[in-house]
Amino acid sequence: MQISNWGQNGHSYKMPKMILLATNITVAETEKAKAAGFADTVIMKPLRASMVAACLQQVLGLGRKPQNGRDVPNKCTGLRGLLCGKKILVVDDNIVNRRVAAGALKKFGADVQCAESGQEALKWLQLPHEFDACFMDIQMPEMDGFEATRLIREMENKVNTQMNGGCMADGTTKKNEWHIPILAMTADVIHATLDKCLKCGMDGYVSKPFQEKSLYQAVAKFFESKPISNS
Amino acid sequence: MEVDQLQRTFHHYHASLFNEGFLDEQFVQLQQLQDESNPGFVVEVVSLFFEDSERLLNDLSKALDQENVDFRKIDAHVHQLKGSSSSIGAQRVRDACIAFRNFCDERNIEACLKCLQQVRQEYLLVKTKLEALLRLEQQIVAAGGASPM
Repeated sequence: MQISNWGQNGHSYKMPKMILLATNITVAETEKAKAAGFADTVIMKPLRASMVAACLQQVLGLGRKPQNGRDVPNKCTGLRGLLCGKKILVVDDNIVNRRVAAGALKKFGADVQCAESGQEALKWLQLPHEFDACFMDIQMPEMDGFEATRLIREMENKVNTQMNGGCMADGTTKKNEWHIPILAMTADVIHATLDKCLKCGMDGYVSKPFQEKSLYQAVAKFFESKPISNS
Repeated sequence: MEVDQLQRTFHHYHASLFNEGFLDEQFVQLQQLQDESNPGFVVEVVSLFFEDSERLLNDLSKALDQENVDFRKIDAHVHQLKGSSSSIGAQRVRDACIAFRNFCDERNIEACLKCLQQVRQEYLLVKTKLEALLRLEQQIVAAGGASPM
């Protein structure tokens, strides 16, 4: 079984994990095998799918430790891979919505900053900034999400043209051209707002409050999944 | 013993709130966001919801009491309340807000006043129930049990 570790700057090859299948093995023998580097872990035969899944999760360092004995759902692993360590700006004029959205994103390891208006969002997104994505409420007083997004894109375009679109010397492209993924948060997906979202420069939308599946699908377009180390 | 009894009461009450439509799946999502690193999350969000809702209900009262009713403003307030109730899973409040917004579109003051009454009623109901639920949680923790949230 080959496992590659895809880093942000290319890829490096990692030694495959070894899982020993045993029918009759003592604890002492298991520890010996692990200590000798012969096996990363042991599964008792006959194999059960759930045991194999749990074991793979453990040796590959995916998912997180169950808390309060609760199982971590598989989609959690996916979203954690996408969002862990990402810096996200949540823009919503309602305090309850901000707190809930932030809580949901933090659950997957994101580093969240909240803003309560389009104007405040513009301040946070002055270039250069460290944000990886922005979740933007649409209907806000004074400056709505569409207007805020338009202004953000204007700012980015200005800087991009000034930069002459040059590449970094080491070939990395993290900030080659400024374009922060902006996702509209909307309860009202039916209302053909998607067109309007895309027209003013948004990259997509998510339903509000967040549903894990649609959040995953929306975010997966921008963020690559990374294996997470077990900590 | 006492903890077990309290836990049972909590679970029954919790289930009834869902069966009677006061809370929906989103409240469960909130509970899942509470853990050792974030032990007060539910109570924090619910408290914010109470404060925010009371402010909005007051603003709505005032707005409907004006000589010239500003329906756009009213719609904006109801939209906020719909959003926040949706975020915590307060299903009946959210549904009452949806109905309210329809009457805002029609610019029907009488109907809006009735809707406001309805929304306020649903809010007070869910507030009472959530407070009871959170009190039960507190009692369980005080008696040495783990939070059932």
